[in-house]
Amino acid sequence: MLQRSYTEKSQWRQWWLGWQNLDFFLLALVVGLTIFGGVMIHSIELRQGITDWWQHWLVGLIGLVITLAISQFQYEFLLQWHWPIYALMNVTLVVVMLAGHTANGAQSWLTIGGFNVQPSEFAKVGLIITLAALLHDRPATTLDSVFRVLAITMVPWILIFVQPDLGTALVFGAITLGMLYWANVKPAWLLLLVSPMVAAVLYGISLPACGIWTALVCAIAWFTLPLRQISTPIVVAINWAAAFLGQVFWGLLKDYQKDRLILFLNPEKDPLGGGYHLIQSRIAIGAGELWGEGLFNGTQTQLDFIPEQHTDFIFSAVGEELGFIGSIIVIFAFWLICLRLIVIAQNAKDNFGSLLAVGVLSMIAFQVFVNIGMTVGVSPITGLPLPWISYGRSALLTNFLALGLVESVANHRPRMHFR
Amino acid sequence: MSNPDFPATPSPPDAPAPPFTPRPYRLQPRRLWIVWGLLAASLAGLGFNLYRLQILRAPDLMEQARNQQMTYMRPYIPRREIVDRAGNILATDRLVYTLYAHPNQFPVSREAMAQQLARPLTQDAEALLKTLKVRDSGIPLAANLSEETADQIRALKLNGLELIRQYSRLYPQQELVSDVVGYVDLDHKGQAGLEYTQEKALERNLRTLQMSRAGNGALMPDHIPSGLLGFDDQRLQLTVDMRLQRVARSLLKQQVETYKAKRGAVLVMNVNDGALLALACEPTFDPNEYSKFDLTLFKNWAVTDLYEPGSTFKPINMAIALEAGAIQSDDTFYDAGKIEIDTWEIANHDYESVGGRGDLNLGEILSYSSNVAMVDLVQQMDPKVYYEALKNLDLTVAPAIELPGAAAGQLKSAEQFIHSPVEAATTAFGQGFSLTPLKLAQLQAAIANGGLLVTPHLVRGLVDAENTLVWEPTDHPVKRVFSPATTEVVLDKMAAVIDAPSGQSARISGYRLGGKSGTAEKASPDGGYFSDRKIVSFFTILPLESPQYLVLVVIDEPQGEDLFGSTVAAPLVKSITEALIAIEGLPPSSP
Repeated sequence: MLQRSYTEKSQWRQWWLGWQNLDFFLLALVVGLTIFGGVMIHSIELRQGITDWWQHWLVGLIGLVITLAISQFQYEFLLQWHWPIYALMNVTLVVVMLAGHTANGAQSWLTIGGFNVQPSEFAKVGLIITLAALLHDRPATTLDSVFRVLAITMVPWILIFVQPDLGTALVFGAITLGMLYWANVKPAWLLLLVSPMVAAVLYGISLPACGIWTALVCAIAWFTLPLRQISTPIVVAINWAAAFLGQVFWGLLKDYQKDRLILFLNPEKDPLGGGYHLIQSRIAIGAGELWGEGLFNGTQTQLDFIPEQHTDFIFSAVGEELGFIGSIIVIFAFWLICLRLIVIAQNAKDNFGSLLAVGVLSMIAFQVFVNIGMTVGVSPITGLPLPWISYGRSALLTNFLALGLVESVANHRPRMHFR
Repeated sequence: MSNPDFPATPSPPDAPAPPFTPRPYRLQPRRLWIVWGLLAASLAGLGFNLYRLQILRAPDLMEQARNQQMTYMRPYIPRREIVDRAGNILATDRLVYTLYAHPNQFPVSREAMAQQLARPLTQDAEALLKTLKVRDSGIPLAANLSEETADQIRALKLNGLELIRQYSRLYPQQELVSDVVGYVDLDHKGQAGLEYTQEKALERNLRTLQMSRAGNGALMPDHIPSGLLGFDDQRLQLTVDMRLQRVARSLLKQQVETYKAKRGAVLVMNVNDGALLALACEPTFDPNEYSKFDLTLFKNWAVTDLYEPGSTFKPINMAIALEAGAIQSDDTFYDAGKIEIDTWEIANHDYESVGGRGDLNLGEILSYSSNVAMVDLVQQMDPKVYYEALKNLDLTVAPAIELPGAAAGQLKSAEQFIHSPVEAATTAFGQGFSLTPLKLAQLQAAIANGGLLVTPHLVRGLVDAENTLVWEPTDHPVKRVFSPATTEVVLDKMAAVIDAPSGQSARISGYRLGGKSGTAEKASPDGGYFSDRKIVSFFTILPLESPQYLVLVVIDEPQGEDLFGSTVAAPLVKSITEALIAIEGLPPSSP
């Protein structure tokens, strides 16, 4: 009897041991935000007669189980599988291009077993795993390593860009830049990397500014690139080409995409069209004042002034119903999550784990900034959900998947104590 | 890169050793700081923007939110209808449209717009174009457009045109009852007649509604007061009978034209309760186009203007004397044809041709309309008693009719009346004081109904769709001024007026009537009387066995030959009375 109870206890102990190094603080923050997200979705749907807000909690619960399961696994296992993962990611993106259906102007949905799945969401995690594996043993300190990473990123990136899912394409960029930075790339090279985009934008705004920018880029290239006599002219040529192509692509963009990109600067230009969303969102957040109008009591929210509020514009409901205080608490929670992600990245036992954590950090931080920025009017409407809070099953699962990877990294970090 | 704080972890001996890769990416402090800084700056930037929106700009944004979420509207609740005693509509609200043009939104040139609009608006295209060039926006093009015209304009499907819907008051009877009903101005506020005085009864509890508006423009019923949608269907019903009013109006108009009179008035009153079945003044106005008429027409002069009644007041004096016990019903009074009081000479109207008539009984006094005998009659009373009796008739109190501007009659001061014998003498035949035609009707009604001073009124009350009375005015006081015994005598004497040869023009075969004519000289503003300006009147009371109605006609300043109450007013009274008999279905008097 005694023996048996001991084994039982021991088994329980073994079971528990599998998770004892989890970052519980991070887990609690994410679970808290998910619960909070469900409440906010409920508030938004309150007077619309929709009652699917509980699905957010259900998917969150499934996500939590996935997270806990993944965190038990040795994440290094993925090192051997990163090419198949990369292949799977590209294949699903091609499939969605061929067989997906369109919503909000982008063909990004697949119907699998009655559920609508957004492969571009899962592709974010696929990219993080791929880049982490690539940079794991080959730091981005050499140009060929950087180009290798860029070339491999380019395939899924183009597939997403043509959907067109601009938001996810931008997240891909953020993930790539963040992970390259962590992999010790020269900061000047990152600058050169984004320089064609800047040149394209500046060209559209003012020609002299574009000239000054290319001169600056020229100088940076001269002092940081090898083979400067050849590489510097190439960089400048790329910048000019980008400036020109930028204009061409701008002409190719559909009007609603252009509006989404620039209207945030002056939404009053089109108050009933593209600017409507931004104006209404700002009004809602402003009406929240310091303490908010109270949960379930935000008039903008309850009177349904903001389209798509339960997905991309959920933060406007937070701002209106919970006020400045509530908004700051949510931002603070995200800040703490980023903090934990950096700590996990710093303490990972290997580069792969460290890079996984940084990839997730880049993804989460960029989405939080762009999404909240969009609702307060400092960034364009790009269709990015607010992690763990916005309604959206694929995005929510993706974020829990990413959390699972990070928790696995945390769970298997070198222990500080001998026992 | 080495990891000084990274103690080597001993792998479990039985597990395959994981490939240990050195960790070059443990960030140098400088790089880590950049990451920290970027994160902190981004989130602080968001925080600052939230501060800007939720603290600095909050009041402004809050107001914007309220403005778009709340909508205030004055609901389209029409003003109550006014109907006559039979339910005929006298005033009602209908939807009309005002057309505004905003040329800055025109899809085509102003010239082309003017061409297109000319037909539905039935306006000249040139004139329209001129109006359209006034400014770029907000030009009122046409008002009071009907639903059909509005539909035609909508069918053009042109931008830059705005049709504003509103209620407009329609008076389907046009000028027929205008001096009773009055009119409303552009703001739907009553400006004359019952529209002015009955504002409270006519307005349906108009409240400004506050409603929440959803993002898609739908109005949420959360602030709507209960009972809004089920507003009552009550109408203001008058005592006026349109059939009688129409007859009265057209006959009066005709008579005023025939005699080129300044004006005329007809009053038909139920003597028992004071309800007016008809009240018409000529000339009058069309309330649908009130702005085209002279302001002075908007009052009802039968209610607002004073005149010296003349002989029609004689039966009242008789009743006063009888009531005071100063005379008896079979007394006779001496008619010398002409007498002098103080320095004034008082003569009968027919003194020149007939001279004195000697002793006259009460009936003869009325039928000959003897001024001199009337002077003898009132002199049987102490002037003080006479004066008190006149006061008791509320001569100097305005009747409480629902029309605006009802005037109180004027009597001489008590002192002058009592100490100057000529005052009582002139009052005896209805001169030297003034009252409104309405007041005279009220006094005659008191004779007819057995001595009660009833309140003349036009409003029956509010009725619902089933014509059930749901509200009626309660302030209709009744005051006894004569005893039935007195009025019975006077009525009887008034019958003699109709039966006499001079009453022939008012006589209706088969019906027993009482009545009296009056032909008064109009007082001149500088003392004395105009001999060429008369105000003639006639009234009848019927049926005499049990009086119910009084018909009074007053014609001001008729011109021509033979201008007496019995010649100018009596035929009119007769025609109206015949109409009244037909409308009310009064049975002939038993022989």
